[in-house]
Amino acid sequence: MEKPHLLWLQSITCNGNTHSFLNHPDLFSILSHYNIVHHPALDGSHSFDDVLKDDVPCDVLILEGSFIEKGFLKGGVEVSFILEKYAKKAKYIITAGTCATFGGVFKQKDPSNISGFCFDLEEKSIRYDAYASKLISLPGCPVHPKWLSYVLLMLANGKQIPIDNLHRPTELFGYTVHNGCTRNEYFEWKIDADNYGLKEGCLFYAQGCQGPYTRGSCNKILWNDISSKTRAGTPCFGCTEASFPQTSLFQTKTNMGIPAKMPLGIPKRAYLSLTGVTKSFKIKRFSTRLLEYDK
Amino acid sequence: MKSLKIKQLIEKIEGEAELDFTFHEGKIEDVKINFGFYRGIEEILQGKDARDALVITPRVCGICNHAHLLSAVRAIENGYENAGHKIELTSKAKDIREFTLACELIQNHIKWLYMTILPQLESYLDSKSEENYAIKATYLSSTITKALAIFAGQWPHSSYAVPGGVTCDPTHLDVMQAQSLVDESIKFFEQVVTELPLDEYLNIEFCADLHHVGGDFGKLLHLIGSSGMSEIGRSHDRFIVFGDCMLSPSGKSIVTKIANVDSKYVKESAQKGTVAKAVMYKERLYEVGPLARGMVGKRTIVKNLHKRYKDSLLTRVFARVHEVATLLDHAKTLLKNLNLEESSCTLDPHMLLQDFEGTGIVEAARGSLIHKTTVKDGLIVNYEIITPTQWNLSHGNDDEQGIAVEAMKGSKNIEEATFIFRTFDVCSVCTTQ
Repeated sequence: MEKPHLLWLQSITCNGNTHSFLNHPDLFSILSHYNIVHHPALDGSHSFDDVLKDDVPCDVLILEGSFIEKGFLKGGVEVSFILEKYAKKAKYIITAGTCATFGGVFKQKDPSNISGFCFDLEEKSIRYDAYASKLISLPGCPVHPKWLSYVLLMLANGKQIPIDNLHRPTELFGYTVHNGCTRNEYFEWKIDADNYGLKEGCLFYAQGCQGPYTRGSCNKILWNDISSKTRAGTPCFGCTEASFPQTSLFQTKTNMGIPAKMPLGIPKRAYLSLTGVTKSFKIKRFSTRLLEYDK
Repeated sequence: MKSLKIKQLIEKIEGEAELDFTFHEGKIEDVKINFGFYRGIEEILQGKDARDALVITPRVCGICNHAHLLSAVRAIENGYENAGHKIELTSKAKDIREFTLACELIQNHIKWLYMTILPQLESYLDSKSEENYAIKATYLSSTITKALAIFAGQWPHSSYAVPGGVTCDPTHLDVMQAQSLVDESIKFFEQVVTELPLDEYLNIEFCADLHHVGGDFGKLLHLIGSSGMSEIGRSHDRFIVFGDCMLSPSGKSIVTKIANVDSKYVKESAQKGTVAKAVMYKERLYEVGPLARGMVGKRTIVKNLHKRYKDSLLTRVFARVHEVATLLDHAKTLLKNLNLEESSCTLDPHMLLQDFEGTGIVEAARGSLIHKTTVKDGLIVNYEIITPTQWNLSHGNDDEQGIAVEAMKGSKNIEEATFIFRTFDVCSVCTTQ
């Protein structure tokens, strides 16, 4: 059987998804399941000029970058025209990254004209109905290399990918960024970090961490196979969500000292009750530096 | 004889560019460089919290995002200092920042060597090898960005540098892992890129000794030399470096005369027919990037090559690959001397200034990157980003043609000219932020 044809196209982008995927340790074994028709950095069977002027093969289309209907030309051709031409032809469309999926950071320049390919934030765009049956959303700024390889391998193996209402694979986005965070114990006991640059403390209470309500498996499938934002002491900025980027990203929005946004699916009453209980204890280990406690 | 105009779409750079060549009497007389889409990052930042720039500006560029983060944090720190609140970073925070930046530069240069320069040169010379250069590029780039991510959480698009230091609090476990990844990268450089021990490579001072360099770098130098391309691609022979860094102090070099610089004399201007802005220093054009750092930083082998070949394609290509060796060596030293006892972040989290103006400068892979932020009532009212590619790829001024245009001028064919163009390590996304 002939391998499926893979075409990677870019719209309004920083190329971050391209470079993120190039970090994948098994990159070439994953790509060996495909005929690469065209890719922004890797060799393919067709030049970009061919993609523009001819009708090149395309079974799996990866889209990178935010979408605009008019005003962005490559080689004299509207990018939107090229994207739609191959989207119609493709058997599967993967929107790689938050830009291609929801609009992302570049949407903020021109919110009424820039969007994702099939979603405008979380609303269905006019293209949704035409492509919904073959659409897989992989938000993230950038896309995680292993999330993309999961989808490519599932497709190459002829397996059905379970997806949610925004077409995100549930096996990747059923988790929150909070799951697997090495600071979980501090979250359980409501101990906040005193400052940046400390291994102790949870970043949800003051530093702006959105991990408890952001979907994504960043702390299950690590970045660069080794770490994640929260493991490196950086708050999660919610980059997989349609609302990315929000404002005041290094500060938790609070109401009367309580984070304004609750962990995913947790009723405020439940959160407050639990907080009341945990905060009533003073636990010595949490007021000691992690590596000093048993000394 | 009539002028002939030819339009060419260039791919396999960072993004795409369109070059409009004007030929006169069989030679390139002028080139207009056009880039795609203006994304408006500077405008997007207006009205946001000052620190949001640490998350937004890395999204200017997928390949040099870390340099944007560091420029952004330095702009805020400089703003605090200008407002009378100087922030003293610990040497630990400084060293970690420098280490992660070094990793990003190595990643960039290696991708450029293996995914742009070698395959493009081979195809131009019609001597395409069957080698999978991309697997070499991604092996080394993913190894070194993994070392970066130990401290920064991830690459691309980390925001781990905050005013006052860094967010990570590494242990020796982290440092050991990073060290072994740097060692692995050095081993690759020694066995595959140069076929020479790193210290032996770094001791090379004279052009005559360059024939000892083997591996893929040796092959590249040989290909350039044997095809008679060593002396083409010369430009104005003026260089500038703004960011004091591990590779070079700041300064400018006109031919070989070095002088001090001040970023206040940098001026941006709009250009006709492209969304990229041009940039000049005291009304003059300068080349930025590894060759500029090699010249201003007085790196012996770069200076000796320059003595013989001036600012030709060969010197430019050499200077960039050479930085990989310097950076690997430096990265190793930084880790060895890292003092984990110091604080990661020295700024009191409650110390948030509401009004300030600051400039942050970093030597990114392609040259000096400048961020300027103006903050009122805690919010950004103005943000300016000047990227390295704007220096090298501007069209020029009334007196002279731009750096890359000048380098392509006189070439007899488009293939050669576009190869010269690529020696500047072109990034379209940075140019059209």
